[in-house]
Amino acid sequence: MTEVELKLFVLAGIFVTASTIGYLLSLVVKKVQLARLSTWILLGGFVFLALSLILIASHSTGWSNFGSRCFLSLYAWAISGIYLGMQIKTKTRVLGAFVAPLILLFIIAAAGQQSDKNLVPLPWQGWLTALHLLLAIAGEALFVLAAAAGAMFIIQDNLLKHKKPGKMSRFLPSLGDLDRINQSGLLWGFVLLTFGMIAGALYAAFVWEGRWFSDPKIIWALATWVVYGFLLHQRLAIGWKGFRMAALSCVVFVLFFTSALAIRFYLPTIHSFI
Amino acid sequence: MKMIILIGLNHRTAPLAVRERLFAGCEEEKNLLPEFLAIDGVAEVLFLSTCNRVEVVAIIDDNPETAEKLKKALMKKGGLMDGEATCLYIYRDDEAIKHLFRVTASLDSLVMGEAQILGQVKDAYRQALAQNSSGVALNRLMHRAFRTAKRVRTETEIAANPVSVSFAAVELAKKVLGTLTGKKILVIGAGEMAELTGTHLIGNGAEDITVVNRSIVQAAAMAEKFHGRAAGLDNLDDILSCADIVLSSTSAPSYIITESMIRRALSKRKNRLLFLIDIAVPRDIDPAADNIENVYLYNIDNLQNIVDENIKNRRREALKAEKIVEEEVKLYSNWLKELEAVPTIISLRTKAEGIVRAEMEKAQGWINSMENADKEKIEALVKGIVNKILHAPVTALKEEKVEFDSPDIVAAVRQLFRLDD
Repeated sequence: MTEVELKLFVLAGIFVTASTIGYLLSLVVKKVQLARLSTWILLGGFVFLALSLILIASHSTGWSNFGSRCFLSLYAWAISGIYLGMQIKTKTRVLGAFVAPLILLFIIAAAGQQSDKNLVPLPWQGWLTALHLLLAIAGEALFVLAAAAGAMFIIQDNLLKHKKPGKMSRFLPSLGDLDRINQSGLLWGFVLLTFGMIAGALYAAFVWEGRWFSDPKIIWALATWVVYGFLLHQRLAIGWKGFRMAALSCVVFVLFFTSALAIRFYLPTIHSFI
Repeated sequence: MKMIILIGLNHRTAPLAVRERLFAGCEEEKNLLPEFLAIDGVAEVLFLSTCNRVEVVAIIDDNPETAEKLKKALMKKGGLMDGEATCLYIYRDDEAIKHLFRVTASLDSLVMGEAQILGQVKDAYRQALAQNSSGVALNRLMHRAFRTAKRVRTETEIAANPVSVSFAAVELAKKVLGTLTGKKILVIGAGEMAELTGTHLIGNGAEDITVVNRSIVQAAAMAEKFHGRAAGLDNLDDILSCADIVLSSTSAPSYIITESMIRRALSKRKNRLLFLIDIAVPRDIDPAADNIENVYLYNIDNLQNIVDENIKNRRREALKAEKIVEEEVKLYSNWLKELEAVPTIISLRTKAEGIVRAEMEKAQGWINSMENADKEKIEALVKGIVNKILHAPVTALKEEKVEFDSPDIVAAVRQLFRLDD
């Protein structure tokens, strides 16, 4: 990482931290203007993160400079990008109060990594791996968004069910909007993850030797795909909507997030760079 | 000297019969502004007439006769007897400014915080502009009034929450379903409250209304008003599964919609969110329905509690709004006082410029022998000296007017510099 790349990364970190504080404060004072301002600050973080990643990519051959720090930044970038893109359509600024802390978590995790460690192995360079990584990360970022919308749905549901539509309820987005975001997150997340996994599987089948499919991270990804596929099926075909899907999105997200961490730190995996 | 005067009556000071008479009298003759302007001493005037208040705001000469004539003209138009003059209030200067700002910011309205009054005041001002009855002082006054109303709306939550049951129901529907555009409504019963709430729901984008009633004739009559459909109670099960919002207000002695009906409907609509409003007493919808996932049931007590809470909140917010009004009154009042000093400042400057011009002309003989550049320098020097000398009295005139409200300094300056000669 060059000095400029590092400075951009630090700037992104400062902006995302400021945006997270702004969003959380907006929850306390219940002022939507503050949430709106935080959204603009988050946009700043997103831009700096994008510049930092573009610079790194421009200096590297294929993925040669991409390690854990870059991939964790890429997660943060994808989540913020998808959230900001969604803001153009839904204008549910307050949702950032649940999304921004997660983005900050990825930035902190990225900052904790050494930039020259855990790089993508050299033989893996190529457009198919790039496609695999980008699609899988974007898919997982959409699941993060579905979970955040789900968590906010549960709070709003609780307020409305208990007949307490006070300041907090007015401040939070409507149940209908949150449910739609949850559905979009699940649907598009599943589609992207599916293509991402196909790209990864194709690459592995042709290039690798050995039992690549027994890698813990690949088994984890398959489990994620199956469970989210099941949720999506239940949602679209059976009608598991609203509260049930909100709660399940949160539970499934927490389970997969913690298990991904466990794999990363305790099990040997060929995906150690993520 | 000019003053601001506000004469009028409203729902608090005059009984309905008097308001009606005044309103009708003024409505009959649409344009009263020229008549008010024709009164001796009236410089600028604005006339506001709504169903709850009739008011005249004017900039007039500071003498009791003009005020009396204006009051009499208003009473005559409204057919008010001498005994009914007690219904009228008369505010002057700061009190008048404050009253107008409070009215525009909807702090004096029957339903505090309602938005309609601002539009009505704007219309009155437009009328005054069209009739050229508004000048410098009134223009500034009205712009300040609109600014105050905007500040009250954005800096307080006076209009943030609904204070009627039907609006509270609409707000809740939005909180449950998001946008109401394209949403389907089922109205059960043909009561007045259901009609009002239905109207508000349509106003917010809801479409496709079905009215169900025991009497199909009554259902059809209400459905026609909403451009919707009418149906009998027999089809309730089917219609229920299509509706996103159900509004029930029948006088049935027992539940019309049971928990199992809701469960069936929800199953058919694949658990899409359902908002139920039960404003009937006794209740029409089994309260157990509220325990079903994705169903949100509000009865009349729930809605009334929300309204009561919102009214309390509005009263709290009104205190903040009053402070904003006080600030704005002070700002306008200061500006007005500065304005009073303006003629004296202009006279002072004109006199000084006249002296400079006369002295320069006297000195033409030797000035003409100079180079052009030197001539300009001398002119600039003389103007500079005069401006410096005038700076202190001009500032004193402005500040003295604002801070001490003393007319003496204006008189003193006029006398010292012999401005009235």
